[in-house]
Amino acid sequence: MASAAPDRDPTAVLDTVARLLREVIGEDWVDEVEITMDTSFSDDLELESIEFVALAEQLQETYGDRVDFVGWLSSMDLDEIIGLRVGQLVDFIVQCPPS
Amino acid sequence: MPAILTNGVRLHLVELGAGPPVVMLHGLLVGNLATWYLTAAPALSRSHRVLVYDLRGHGRSERPPTGYDVPTMVDDLRGLLDRCVPGQPVDLVGHSYGALIALQLALDAPARVRRLALVEAPLAPSDTRALTAWLDRPPDALVRALPAALQADLARGGRRARRLLASLQALATETTVLSDIAAQQEVPDARLASLSCPLLAVYGRASSCRPHADRLRRLLPAARVAELDGGHYLPLDAPAELTALLEEFLRG
Repeated sequence: MASAAPDRDPTAVLDTVARLLREVIGEDWVDEVEITMDTSFSDDLELESIEFVALAEQLQETYGDRVDFVGWLSSMDLDEIIGLRVGQLVDFIVQCPPS
Repeated sequence: MPAILTNGVRLHLVELGAGPPVVMLHGLLVGNLATWYLTAAPALSRSHRVLVYDLRGHGRSERPPTGYDVPTMVDDLRGLLDRCVPGQPVDLVGHSYGALIALQLALDAPARVRRLALVEAPLAPSDTRALTAWLDRPPDALVRALPAALQADLARGGRRARRLLASLQALATETTVLSDIAAQQEVPDARLASLSCPLLAVYGRASSCRPHADRLRRLLPAARVAELDGGHYLPLDAPAELTALLEEFLRG
């Protein structure tokens, strides 16, 4: 059985999200932190709102039109966005249909 | 990270959606383009091309030492429009000082602005002094004047608190932002009354800016002036209600 394409494989997507998060944060400590599906952007990483926007920009560039981050964000209220965990973002990317 | 060079400064700009153009401006000091990107911008982008940008010195834009006065920041905005939406009038949405920049462009260059939405625009004569007096308050009162989410960050004392304070410190000590705010001239009644485009003005019922709603009602009777439950940081205090007002105003 063929495995999922890399841009829809949960492990590969988690790796990509973690790499981009480390780039956006750009501080030494984050290289030592394990980023998992359960990691909270706000509570665990203390991501700033402007860094969340930068992450969304990087993800849009990586995944292109297949993944509609802005449409996804428009379906959530501010508290839901602030409360997001890495796994919710990974699941969203994985479940978007192939372009 | 998309950035454009305008008026000699590199500004971080994000574009969402397609349709008639809307440019959204945030407030000074604790604001950045996330003010809109995480609130009203995604919903508006279903029917508009939405441009959100970090004002000079804020978010991921360059932080030059000077130029935080309204006329210079209007020039930043003009340069951005020349590059991104040449020859086309735009809708402008501004919060706080961003509202003053948007209003100034609409007054200076009416042909460039189709409709104007001002959120918590500090328009009273006393307000620039109030802004600087704000900084003389005792620390407790200063903290209580911040958005609730930032108060929580400060109480937590973690990474976001450190970065917020470092950014405020850099703005206060390495730039002219505070003296530029203090030198800001009020918009006289006759000039404000000359505004020719459709106007939506929104104020928070708990905000010290709320009395300015009455000034706008008096000077611009055709304007839509609305009040929502919340304080000065209305995009964060009442995001759903504010988004609904903006969607209705910018429809069609």
